[in-house]
Amino acid sequence: MDQVWIIPAIPAVIFILVALFGRLMPRQGDFLVILGGLTLVALVFSMFPGFQAAYHDGHFAPEGRNVFAFDWVNIGDGFFIIQFSTYVDAITMVMLPVVTIVALMVMIYSTSYMHGEPRYFWYFSVLSLFIAAMLTLVLSGNLIQLYLAWEGVGLASFLLIGFYWERQSAAEAAKKAFITTRVGDVGLLIGIILLWRATGTFDIQAIIAAAKAGAIDHTYLTVAMLFLFGGAVGKSAQFPLHVWLPDAMEGPTPVSALIHAATMVVAGVYLVARFSPVYAEVLIARDVIFYIGLTTAVMAGTMGLVSNDIKRVLAYSTVSQLGFMFVALGTGAVGAAMFHLFTHAFFKALLFLGSGSVIHATHAQEVEHLGGLRKKMPWTTATFIVGSLALAGVPIFAGFWSKDEILAATLHDGPILGYVILAATAILTAIYSTRVVLLTFFGEPKDHHAYDHAHESPLVIVGPLVLLATLATFAGFFALDQVGQALGFVGGIGQLVYLEHPHMFTQPDWLLAGIATLGSLAGIGIGVAFWHGDARRAVAARAWAPDLHALLVNRYYMDNLYQAIIDRVILGLGGVVAWFDKRIVNETGVDGGAQTVGYLGYRLKFLETGRIPNYALGMAVGLVAIVVVAFGMQG
Amino acid sequence: MTIPLSSFLVLSALLFGIGFYGVLARRSAILILIAVEIMLAAVAINFIAFATYRDPKAFSGLVFALFVIAVAAAEVGLALGIVLRLFRERRTANVDEANSLKW
Amino acid sequence: MFARLPLPAQFDRIIMTGGLVGSLVMGPILVGLIALYMLSRISGAEVVFYLASVVILLGALGAVLLPNLVHSALSLIATLLGVAAIYLMLLSEFLALVQILVYGGGVIMLVIFGLMLTNAQDDPVVSDGSQKPFAFGVGALIAGLFVAAAMMAQWGPSTATIIPFPAFGERLFRDFSLPIIIVAFLLDIAFTGALVNARRAESAAAEDAATGGTR
Repeated sequence: MDQVWIIPAIPAVIFILVALFGRLMPRQGDFLVILGGLTLVALVFSMFPGFQAAYHDGHFAPEGRNVFAFDWVNIGDGFFIIQFSTYVDAITMVMLPVVTIVALMVMIYSTSYMHGEPRYFWYFSVLSLFIAAMLTLVLSGNLIQLYLAWEGVGLASFLLIGFYWERQSAAEAAKKAFITTRVGDVGLLIGIILLWRATGTFDIQAIIAAAKAGAIDHTYLTVAMLFLFGGAVGKSAQFPLHVWLPDAMEGPTPVSALIHAATMVVAGVYLVARFSPVYAEVLIARDVIFYIGLTTAVMAGTMGLVSNDIKRVLAYSTVSQLGFMFVALGTGAVGAAMFHLFTHAFFKALLFLGSGSVIHATHAQEVEHLGGLRKKMPWTTATFIVGSLALAGVPIFAGFWSKDEILAATLHDGPILGYVILAATAILTAIYSTRVVLLTFFGEPKDHHAYDHAHESPLVIVGPLVLLATLATFAGFFALDQVGQALGFVGGIGQLVYLEHPHMFTQPDWLLAGIATLGSLAGIGIGVAFWHGDARRAVAARAWAPDLHALLVNRYYMDNLYQAIIDRVILGLGGVVAWFDKRIVNETGVDGGAQTVGYLGYRLKFLETGRIPNYALGMAVGLVAIVVVAFGMQG
Repeated sequence: MTIPLSSFLVLSALLFGIGFYGVLARRSAILILIAVEIMLAAVAINFIAFATYRDPKAFSGLVFALFVIAVAAAEVGLALGIVLRLFRERRTANVDEANSLKW
Repeated sequence: MFARLPLPAQFDRIIMTGGLVGSLVMGPILVGLIALYMLSRISGAEVVFYLASVVILLGALGAVLLPNLVHSALSLIATLLGVAAIYLMLLSEFLALVQILVYGGGVIMLVIFGLMLTNAQDDPVVSDGSQKPFAFGVGALIAGLFVAAAMMAQWGPSTATIIPFPAFGERLFRDFSLPIIIVAFLLDIAFTGALVNARRAESAAAEDAATGGTR
């Protein structure tokens, strides 16, 4: 447990090895990456017994264990210290298996999906870098290390989204993802600096302790935590910075699975969860999180309803589900949020890999070109349906349990309107997931060329799908006390992630669960009613409210708004800055300085007459000056 | 000896000023040499005056005056060689026409 | 006897004019000084000192002010002889001797040879540089400062004593033997350098003549 730094170190080393020498290795080094992934999974699971033991000894919960590694930077003898340190607690122990398992599945899957692509080794090495950065992020014990890993995740996602950089749209999407998240990252950096200013340390636990002890001014802390949340908003694609995630579909599909399920976007959730004790002190910031999460959940859910790109629908659903998580965090139900993260990771990875399987088979990702694939791809269809059911929140599937906890937390600690909206969004989720399933796998094939081309994917693709489907089915049971106890914990995951409301897990709210079940079944019913067969009613609904449809299809015109802002404000400002740079800095400052010196030189050179008497006169004047000074010194 | 030391010093100072003026004001290289000789003579007077008035036991100033005369002789010889060379190259012995080092 | 000397008529004129001007200027001064001596206002030494001073300063002024370079050179002789007189008054006969030998004999001859060889212009218009006013200012300032320094300082009693030849020689060749050697080398190098400088010009001229004077 003290040597936990090995976990991020393994993929980091593999990244360097494969990036440098992967070209020369057999199979371009992908086996090395997968071996690393396997090792990570094994390592993470080998940590559990020790973790449990420590957990029961009370050494661990709820403070976790901060392992100091070494001083990285130490300025002014302790005034400014950056350490390399790791921190393990229950949240980390939730994140680690999620990240490693999903990553391993994605790696195995990619060997087939990316087969024959150019830069195959580069893809795998960046995958490894991605994992390394994410693991560093969840294990880091201080904010600077976390920030570096945060940026590392951003860099790796940029590289992977823009993997097909020959395509203009991919390059644009990568740029958009990087710049949009960067807006949030600046907020994170400001938050880190503010917290450091207040406490003089980057150590997360020290900051939390200081905040709990009331050592930081309340308003100041609120502002700092809002900035910190800004980073989470960017990374987790929350409103208003959600625009990058749907475009991130330009990357290879396994990368989307990784980004959406295990790494990139959950970093924001992780960050807020990590600081949840502090957010418990500043309730205004928590309310902001709640409402932003709610807005995102609704907006993304409605946008998912109309999108035709199968991956884009899934992307909107990710954004929406992340909104759910932030709602939970906003009510203080960290356990519910982490639980949803946990289950969501599995079924979202499953859905993305399933869609990847479809795309791989048909080379089409617009639902207009798909349909009727259930006959050709039974395994993919079955696993995809499992994922959709989990997403929709049908009982026994993983999503049901976690979404139910969030709804319960909202009803318990949030406004009643919040609960209503969230419940409606849950129904919406069921509707659009049904829609995607129906349009993709049922009905008549709309594009026979794509249909004829389709075939079931090979084992390395189906295998991870089945494994993830299993997890998506059963992962929810971890919440049950009995399961948790069987695994060696006192309670379920609610106990694992130190909860403020453990009762919700010990005594499931059957009324709420019933409402949620009814809601999801109703959503599926509506979906089937509208989109079964040739989706006549859906077309009619579109014709009935074209403005609404246009609004949704155009994503509430957010992208247009941003584009307009960029065009008008930023480019305008850029013009001013460019003018300033060109005229003032360059021509006046740099060139002007050079010209001034040159002109002075041109003028002053005439002092160099070359005539010895002139120089002698200069010497004489100097002599006189010296004598005068000497006189002055004499008094 | 009734003549005070300061009288010699004043004489030396005036002689030095005249030489200084000559160096700065005249164009002819040879006349500048002459002016420099005047300045050296002024310095030598100073040396000897101090040696006899203030340092009669060691009289180092006297020795220095001798060296000044010797070095001045060397200087004149060398400088005249240079002036001759200048005259051969440029057909002039005026220092302000030898201004090829200007801008 | 003078008529048979192979001197140009110019020299006759210079010597005549110089003698005339010198007598006209120095005569009254000499008379005044002797009158003061007679009235016991000043001692004999002072008479000699003032006389020498006047000769030195007038000679120096002539050297730097006269437009004709030959006149300047001749005027310098007066200064140097006056300086030798001052040396004598300062009781250092040896230096006075050296002064006359080296300057009056060597340096002046060199200067006059230089004038002859460089075909010095006898043109008052071009003989003065353009920075004459500055030169005057600086020269006056320097002289003024030094005079002020000399007058302001408290020099204590005058204890000038005769320095005997043997003591001087001992001091020179015992304590200062190394500097003497260095100065000897310096003289050697300087005159060799002057020689080489002049000869290289000659040989270059010869080469020019041989190659047709393309330079």
